[in-house]
Amino acid sequence: MGFLAVASLAGADGQWVLASSTLTYHVSHTLHESEGVSREARGKGVCQGGQCNFLIAVPVKSFESGDSNRDLHMVQVTHGAQFPLVSVRVSLPEAALTSVSIRCDVEVEFAGQTARYKDVTFQAVTKGNETRITGSIPAKLTDFKIEPPSLLSIPVKNDMPVRVDMTWHSI
Amino acid sequence: MLRIDTFIGLLAICVASSLSAQTQAAGTLRGKLTDPSGAVVANATVTATNIDNGQTRTATTGADGGYEFTMLPVGNYRVKFEAAGFKTLEIASATVGTAQSVADGKLEPGASTPSLGDLGFTPDQSQGSAQDQARLDKRSRMLKTHQRLGLITTAPLVATLFLANGASGHKSTAEGRDLHAILGGVTAGMYLTTASFAIFAPKIAGTPTRGPIRVHKALAWIHGPGMILTPILGSLALAQKDRGEKVHGIASAHGAVAGVTAAAYGAAMLSVIIKF
Repeated sequence: MGFLAVASLAGADGQWVLASSTLTYHVSHTLHESEGVSREARGKGVCQGGQCNFLIAVPVKSFESGDSNRDLHMVQVTHGAQFPLVSVRVSLPEAALTSVSIRCDVEVEFAGQTARYKDVTFQAVTKGNETRITGSIPAKLTDFKIEPPSLLSIPVKNDMPVRVDMTWHSI
Repeated sequence: MLRIDTFIGLLAICVASSLSAQTQAAGTLRGKLTDPSGAVVANATVTATNIDNGQTRTATTGADGGYEFTMLPVGNYRVKFEAAGFKTLEIASATVGTAQSVADGKLEPGASTPSLGDLGFTPDQSQGSAQDQARLDKRSRMLKTHQRLGLITTAPLVATLFLANGASGHKSTAEGRDLHAILGGVTAGMYLTTASFAIFAPKIAGTPTRGPIRVHKALAWIHGPGMILTPILGSLALAQKDRGEKVHGIASAHGAVAGVTAAAYGAAMLSVIIKF
């Protein structure tokens, strides 16, 4: 979902930790547009020999939409009690992190399924040893074999994009 | 004219040649994968891609680091080796002939990959429970039934209200009162069934109540008692009417109680349908 871009450290080994984050999913229904927000993601990144691997994970239960009934229903349809974490893995050459617009492949594990998204673009803004990453992952419910939740027997739409806003620190 | 035996002989030669050609067109590609120290790399993914037609085959290295592709059509192949903790290695071109071909690989260490354990989640946060999921599933099923029954109950509820005119006042008839009472009874029965699915749906410990559901639950304290009181008052009013009396006393509150109950019921539905 997010990763670090620090031009000055390109080529050097390093570790990164996710300092703060806001992840927002969006679902559309005929009667409602809903968003759920989580600020409880944790992440680490390791760069070694010109290659960087990042892992970010967030508890499914931590997403809040302002409606506890809807949140609990979302946990149920996404099998959140059985698979409590959403995890995201990104691997990319360290040299790719030097750009303010970064494209990479993202692997998401959610609801017991794994989906890969190619060429997802993120924007990176660096200040000192902090980098803020923003972007959106074009997730769909069917990618994870999730039965669309419904209200009044009308299901939500398949698209469930996830906006990410993350700040990484080097350690 | 060709003799039949000559024809059969020629046909046999053609078939044999064809089979021979197919057999000769395949070979075996094998090899061994190691790291810089010479140790074998097991469970690595090996992908062989035919450069001419793009067809791919994959294999996994065994405990000895070895892999093998058999019956591989002859040609030039791009061979890629991938393993966790190592950089991907690609051999740009490996020729596969009819004899056995060998393509060994030596992988270089790549960046290590963080694990979920590195992120510091507690066991409660990272381990799932099929039992908890089953409880959630049951809760969702019951609340869906509650939603659907609640919608269906609206029909007899509205019909009962609509027929109230035929049950009261100077123009009321015995048939009108009976029909109103029957529909009222149906409404009450369906309401209680609807409510039971919500009341007995499993509760999930540690879940706060936030948002429109709070309004929905609060309104139940109005339409719940109202749905019990309305038919009781209605029965009293019906008995008075049947005796030829004017509805009086507590029975005269039947209409008002019914109205408040219906309004609270409608508001409860709207609270979860419309986003305020």
